[in-house]
This record gives sequence, structure tokens and C-alpha cells, in this order.
Amino acid sequence: MIAQENLPYGPKVTKKVDTSAILPFIILPLLLVVATISRSVTLVVMIFIGMGAIYAQSRPRQKNRSQFFYSWTLSSSACMFLVFELVVLSYLEITQLEHFVFLLLVGSTWYFFHKMKAVADFELATGTSKGKEYSPVLTSDSYYCQICQLEVNERFFHSIWWDCCILRPNYSYFLAGQVFAFATLLYGTNLGLTTICQPFVLYDNILLPEDCTDVYYDFNLAISFVACVYGLGYFLVTALVLLRQLLIYIPKYSEPKWRKIVNVLTV
Amino acid sequence: MYAVKRKVLYCGVVIVILIILLHPDRNGTRNYYYISKENILNCLRPEIANNLSSTALADCDYYDIIHDDTTLPLSIAEGDLVENHRIKEGGEYAPVECRPKFSTAIIVPYRDRAEQLRGFLVYMHLFLRQQHIHYRIYVVEQVDSRPFNRAKLINIGARAAMQAGYPCLVLHDVDLLPLKLANIYACTELPRHMSCSINKFRFVLPYLNKFDGVVSISSKQYKTVNGMSNQYFGWSGEDDDFYKRLEAHSIELSRFEPSTSQYHMVAYEGQLKRPEKSESLANAKERMTSDGLNSLKYTEVATVLHPLFTHIMVDL
Repeated sequence: MIAQENLPYGPKVTKKVDTSAILPFIILPLLLVVATISRSVTLVVMIFIGMGAIYAQSRPRQKNRSQFFYSWTLSSSACMFLVFELVVLSYLEITQLEHFVFLLLVGSTWYFFHKMKAVADFELATGTSKGKEYSPVLTSDSYYCQICQLEVNERFFHSIWWDCCILRPNYSYFLAGQVFAFATLLYGTNLGLTTICQPFVLYDNILLPEDCTDVYYDFNLAISFVACVYGLGYFLVTALVLLRQLLIYIPKYSEPKWRKIVNVLTV
Repeated sequence: MYAVKRKVLYCGVVIVILIILLHPDRNGTRNYYYISKENILNCLRPEIANNLSSTALADCDYYDIIHDDTTLPLSIAEGDLVENHRIKEGGEYAPVECRPKFSTAIIVPYRDRAEQLRGFLVYMHLFLRQQHIHYRIYVVEQVDSRPFNRAKLINIGARAAMQAGYPCLVLHDVDLLPLKLANIYACTELPRHMSCSINKFRFVLPYLNKFDGVVSISSKQYKTVNGMSNQYFGWSGEDDDFYKRLEAHSIELSRFEPSTSQYHMVAYEGQLKRPEKSESLANAKERMTSDGLNSLKYTEVATVLHPLFTHIMVDL
């Protein structure tokens, strides 16, 4: 049986492609296209996606080992970017400078998340904290991540959406990536919505979308609108993540410094 | 060595992608050549209609109007005209306190948007009266059921205005309202694209050769290029064709600065008009001499002088 594997007429050993990793690249575009039918369908699809995300997030982490969620992140960014570049840009209402700023933001976001993944992978391969027997005594603020097989400090965590652990070495990249994603989504959706909707001017120089009633007459307008609504959903998520970091992680991270200052004052 | 090569390759790929994505053809612009405020007065063509007789002694002064920064409130379109507005039958007006230097015919191709037309007329009269020019509004309505032919309607209106002796034409879409008083409705030496900063298009000019929406051109130049093409039924294309005609006669475009050229586009149900580069008919330049003002054929159903506008109804 073992020899057969090497024989030319034997069963071919192909690299197994994980179907769950490809699925988001089919499901998400389909959902977005379906959402272009009407306002109520858009609402239903967005609520459906949101519920799905909350459900996935609330499941025990060990069950979410599949590549599906990471692929979903990739597919979402690809879909939104393509809609922006191919549809929104075709209306010729975005200036070169605005487009350049947008691309710069996209590039920065991509760079920081890429770096975050790379550091996490490096930790996984060579990290000092690897190994099941590593931590016989987990300290109170640590737990063991089953997926990465790493000991994860409590203020760090495993992200199913990036399929990697956020640890001390890549935490800053994660934070920077979130900040840039926040900015990119805000800027991109504003550009998109002011293009397809009737905009109004706030304080003489800020354009904001005002009236988006007639976007469902045309597929290109509708898909841009749906992508923007989806982008706003993502924007909300990044805003919540950042808020969480601000409220929980950053004070803890800087606690020793604070204590020093307080000690100096009390002495 | 390998790492350096890879970095160079990445940089190259990024630069190529940037060049492709940021190509001017894929982006609109807010930076274009325009006539500066100081130069506007020198560039205007002072010429009045030959049938206008003014008893005023002093010439109107336009310096203050051009340097006026006020934005008119859109709400005035919903109101009514004040009493004693002195607008003559047919929508003609000339200031009495001074002698105007400019006569302008505003030509509005129109069909089926009564409510919008009402707002437009009220707004335009209130707007134009403050500019101290002599003007008349022509609304050319297509009464048949064929697709809308904007260019041909404009030709019909332009012919009527030229017969009435107007030296300057403003070709005006009914859904655009000028916001800045400084955007004077008079002709410059070169044809002027007046609506290059529309709110609906994020105050961006989609491409440099765009020449539609609101356009001012002297009657002489309009005759020189033989007007617009009569063959564009349905939206789009006719404006690019018109630009090609000007280009063939090496007549360049001019514009005022973006903040002056601001317009408000009135939204209506099912609006599909987008500023995409549309395909105009091939050989626009060859058709120029045979298709236009000199080949204009239509049946005039009626011409009615309403209190606020001259209504030309035609069957194309």
C-alpha cells in the first residue's frame, strides 16, 4: 500500500483544498448581489450576515478552527475593494487625490494586518511559548489557546477572523491595522455614498451623503450602495473592537507606568 | 541578494498598480484651468440684443456681482415671485435702473417635469434679476412620444433666440440651479462650461472635455459650429459631439473657478443620468457641416408667451 503511492498509476496525491476556505468567496458575492434587489432585501441580508457573525463569535473558540472565518475577512475586503475600484470609480466623481489617500489607507491597513499575521506565524513556528508541556502552571491571567497551541496571556486572544493569535509581539500591529481599517472604511464608505447619493456640505468643506432613495433603479448604483452598507457594518465592528481595546487592554498595558507615577506622587 | 530582488519586484508591482488605478481617465478632478476673478470682466463679451432700448443713463456695473460671495438659498424655488417683478410677457427682463451690457437667451430643453420647471423658473428669475442683465427664458418642449432629443430642442430654441437678436445663448438643463451670484449669465470670449461643480457629482468635474449641463456660447460661435447634432435621441452623447464640433473649429472651453461654478442638481424619481463618458456617434466631425442648425426640420405646434417664459412646443 505504501509503495503504491509512488507508482505512476496509483491514486494521485493532490493537496487537499479546504472547501470551507473557498466558500466565503462564493457566498459573500452572492449575498451582496442578492441584496441589490430592494431596500428590504438589503436589510434582511445585512441582518443575516450580522447574526451569523455574532453566532460564530459566541461559539466556543475550539469549534471555530476552520479557515472559513479568515477567508470571510479576505473575501469581504476583496469584494468591497473591487466594487469601489470598478463601479464607484467609474462614475468619475472621485478626484485623484481622494483616490490616492484611499489607496494609501488600504495599503497601510493591508501592511499592518499582513505583518500581524506574519509575526503570529513566526511565533507559531519558532516561538518560545510553543508546546503543550510549556506551561504546567498557568498564571491567573493566562490561558492556553487550543488552536494555536500557545499559551495566551489574558489581555491577548485568538482571533477567528484572522485565524491567528494576537500576542504581545504582534499586538501593536493588530492595533495599528484596526485603526487604519477604521479610517479606510470610514473614508471609503463616505466616498462611495457621496458618489451614488445626493450629498450635502457640512461646515463648508465636508461632504456627507444625504438622500439615497433612488439607488435600486440601476444595478451598478445598487451594488455600490450595498457594498457601502456592508462596509459600514464592518466599520461598526472595527469601532467596537477599538473601543474594547481602549477600555480594557490599553489601561492594563500601561498600568505599571501609571503605578510608577502614582508611587512617585505618594512618596 | 534574493531579498533585494524581491523587494524591487514588489515596489515595481505597487508602482504599476498605482499608475493604473490613479490614471486621470479613472478619476474626476477639481483642478482645472479657470478664468480668475480679476480677469472675468476682461473676458466677458459686452453685447446687447438689437431690439433692446434702455432709457437708463448709467451703465450697469458688474464688478460687485462678480465679486459677490453669496450663495442663494434653494428654498426660494418653492416660494413665489414677489409682486411687481417687472418681468415682461415671455419671461424677458431688463433692469430699469441702469443700462445692461449683456443680453442672454436661456434655452431650456424640457419635457414632462412641470413641478421642476415651476421651481426652476421662480429660482432663475430671482437669481438673474440680481445680476442686472437683460435676459429671456425659452423653454422648448418636445410634445411627441419619441425619445428625448436634447440637442435638437436646443437648436430650435437657439434659432428662435437668434432670430430675436440675442447675441449670447445659455443652454440650460432644467434640473440645475446656480448657487453663486458671481456666476454671471453672460458670454465670455470662449464658450464657457458653467456647471462644472455640481453637488450631485461631489463638486467634481468628471473629465476635462465635459461640456454639458449649463453652457454659455455666443450666437456667432454657435452658428459657426452649425449648432448641435440633431441625431441624438435619448440621453447622452450629444454633449461630447458638441465638444468635438468646437474642437474641430479650434474653439477652446473656458470655466470660472469651482467655487463660483457651483450648481445644485434637483433630484427626481428614477434619476439615471450619470456623468459617464458616453459613446457619441462616430464621424462627428464629418457630419458637422450637414447635420445641425442648417438641417433643422421639425413641426412647431405652438409658441406661447407665458408670464415667466416663452414656451415653444415642437414635434420633432
